[in-house]
Amino acid sequence: MPADAERVCCLWCPDWPVVAAGRRDPTLAGLPLVVVERADRGRVVRAVSARARQEGVVRGLRQREAEARCAGLTVVDADDAADARTFETVVRVVEQLVPRLVLERPGRLSFPTRGPSRYFGGDDALARQVLAVVHDAGVPDARVGIADGVLAAGLAARAGDALVVPRGESAAFLAPWSVGVVAGHVEGGAELVDLFARLGLRTLGAFAELPERSVLARFGRPGVEAHRLAWGMSTHEVVPVVPAPELVEANEFDPPAARVDEAVFAAKSLADRLLDRLAAHGLSCTQVVVEAETEHGERLARCWRDDGTLTPATLVTRVRWQLEAWLTASDAARDDRDAHDSDIDTTTGGLTLLRLVPDGVVPATGRQLGFWGGDPAASDRAARVLTRVQGMLGPESVVTAVPVGGRTPVERVHWVPWGEAAAQETAGDAPWPGSIPGPAPARVFDPPLPAELLAGDGSAIAVNGRGEASAAPRHLRCAALPNGGGALLAWAGPWPHDLRWWEADQPGPAVPARGRRRHALWQVVVDDGSGSGVACLVAITRGRAEVEAVYD
Amino acid sequence: MALAALPRRDAAAREHLDNSGRHARPVVLARDRSVVLAGELAGMVPGGSLTRGSVLCVEAAAGSARCGQVAGAGSTTVAFELAAAVTAVGEWVGAIDLDGTFGALAARDAGVTLERFAVVRRVPPSRWAAVVAALLDGVSLVLAEMPRRVGLGDARRLVARAREREAILVVHAPPGRWPAGATLTLSAEGSEWSGLDCAGYLTGRALHVRVEGRGAAARPRLGELARAG
Repeated sequence: MPADAERVCCLWCPDWPVVAAGRRDPTLAGLPLVVVERADRGRVVRAVSARARQEGVVRGLRQREAEARCAGLTVVDADDAADARTFETVVRVVEQLVPRLVLERPGRLSFPTRGPSRYFGGDDALARQVLAVVHDAGVPDARVGIADGVLAAGLAARAGDALVVPRGESAAFLAPWSVGVVAGHVEGGAELVDLFARLGLRTLGAFAELPERSVLARFGRPGVEAHRLAWGMSTHEVVPVVPAPELVEANEFDPPAARVDEAVFAAKSLADRLLDRLAAHGLSCTQVVVEAETEHGERLARCWRDDGTLTPATLVTRVRWQLEAWLTASDAARDDRDAHDSDIDTTTGGLTLLRLVPDGVVPATGRQLGFWGGDPAASDRAARVLTRVQGMLGPESVVTAVPVGGRTPVERVHWVPWGEAAAQETAGDAPWPGSIPGPAPARVFDPPLPAELLAGDGSAIAVNGRGEASAAPRHLRCAALPNGGGALLAWAGPWPHDLRWWEADQPGPAVPARGRRRHALWQVVVDDGSGSGVACLVAITRGRAEVEAVYD
Repeated sequence: MALAALPRRDAAAREHLDNSGRHARPVVLARDRSVVLAGELAGMVPGGSLTRGSVLCVEAAAGSARCGQVAGAGSTTVAFELAAAVTAVGEWVGAIDLDGTFGALAARDAGVTLERFAVVRRVPPSRWAAVVAALLDGVSLVLAEMPRRVGLGDARRLVARAREREAILVVHAPPGRWPAGATLTLSAEGSEWSGLDCAGYLTGRALHVRVEGRGAAARPRLGELARAG
């Protein structure tokens, strides 16, 4: 093992959203409590209190299921900004011991231990010291882990109260963990981890045993990063340099900004400029220092890291958390001296300076042209406006089509709301016996339009149980066609279909829209009155004619 | 990271670079900012391509079709052919489908890549202009089915928006209903279907298209899209 891996200490407060909710509202203490957030599949549980966990509620459950498992469950909405604000009390006390903290998210921070552990007399003493001050700050459940590299330190914090993995033993410590733990640390981690699992590489130890050259050949750069993590190293060599002054973005407020919103608004353009400029150098940012200064010269600097790379949106969120914690905590302290926030040193004036300093940069890889054509920038732009349209009209209003197997035009396409993964990959191009031949219709009606298919004597066409028509069709009437339909120029059919024959039959006159039914289809060309024809697909279901599609 | 080794980035150096770039840059003509069409449509449209920032009208020539009716003359197919040119170069199309009746397979047969063909459904008439304007911001071609009526002011704003964003706006409207001008108007004039009498199912169509517009397209051109099923 190379000895160059940086020693890192990680402080983790488990279920911080729950702890923070309890600190904000003391009446919640001791109740079975969950914090829920909105996710793709509805509202899911993000954090669970100890009482609720005893009842079997775990992270990732849907809210409804959690409520079913635990009667009398109290549900609180996730509020990242408030969590960050509450976590600031912990950050402040740890900052008394250690000068340079890196915040990952509310409830979790890390710092390099080189200086502090020498000062406090070793890693064990440092871990005990940090735990003691955090307990004194009123957070009973906190865990500290010290190990080589960020990944091992984070896992050490998960494994025990104050676990110190000795230098050089991180790889052995990591070996039994599942490969899933690296998913959030490398680009495309979720797919990579899924692939490892399918290849039988279930633990980090098994993965670390592969030679690095083979890993590079088979899994590319993300694979090598994951491999380095599995060995207890960091993803990149750390090269300490002072950030070039032209990469620092700063904004001076004149007059001073008194409200968080003003500062965050300015931070948006700062973040855009900073990341654009880094991108021009071929870099992207993983760690950034946000420095703020008030008109009376008070300074607050915080270092934020994101396991992926920071985007303008995530960076602005970090700035908002930090400023809210700082500016609002001072308001609260002013109003309410006996609140437990009051030991936070407070600001006395408006904000005059906001500075973003890129602290950790890695080579950017995100702006390559896609392998199968298409510029990711164009896709990003499209994704942004489509999300905006979804915001205007509702998430179901923007859809993309996925061809699937089926016989009728309605069956053969599955419309998926934008942003949701298609349910399954089905071969839409595979031959499908019984599908309608010929070109695909450009207009498909779901539900189909009521129509009348008439024989030469004006009677409606009927189809018997053997799929035979009562007469040759001569006219089609449908309100949605030009002139309300007309005489047929040509026709073919009927083609009987037994749709969803495996389902139970539903008796009664009502035709189920999607359930089991039998129908017979015709392709007809209707005279539109001007000499040319309109081609339609007509179905007769339970004696009623319907236009299923128009070949527009 | 060896930032010190990078070239100078101060204001003077940048201005010098900008100036040299401006002198060396070739003039970009309108025809270079275009998307090349494939198939028979290329022979009917001036230059064989769609100019970015222009507005096109796709109509069904059958005058009898009222609003809310499907003319069946082939205008949807023509619109899909235009969209296919944009998805073929890896860019995105946003389509407004008022009734939710687009046949995705027909779009795919016309050459559209369905992953880059986002369909917006259930657009209330009052929000139509806002949705089209939003789409113009982010996609290269907006295929917009027009509701019963659109105000002249809204229409002109959308034309200006398309020009500014260099996005192509294709308005799919009943004949003569689009109040603002269009660079090109493509009318589907009905089709001849073959196959029902001999093969027993539809096998092919010959779709008649008429293209007219401003400038080079002032003289109407007639053409035929032949499609085999």
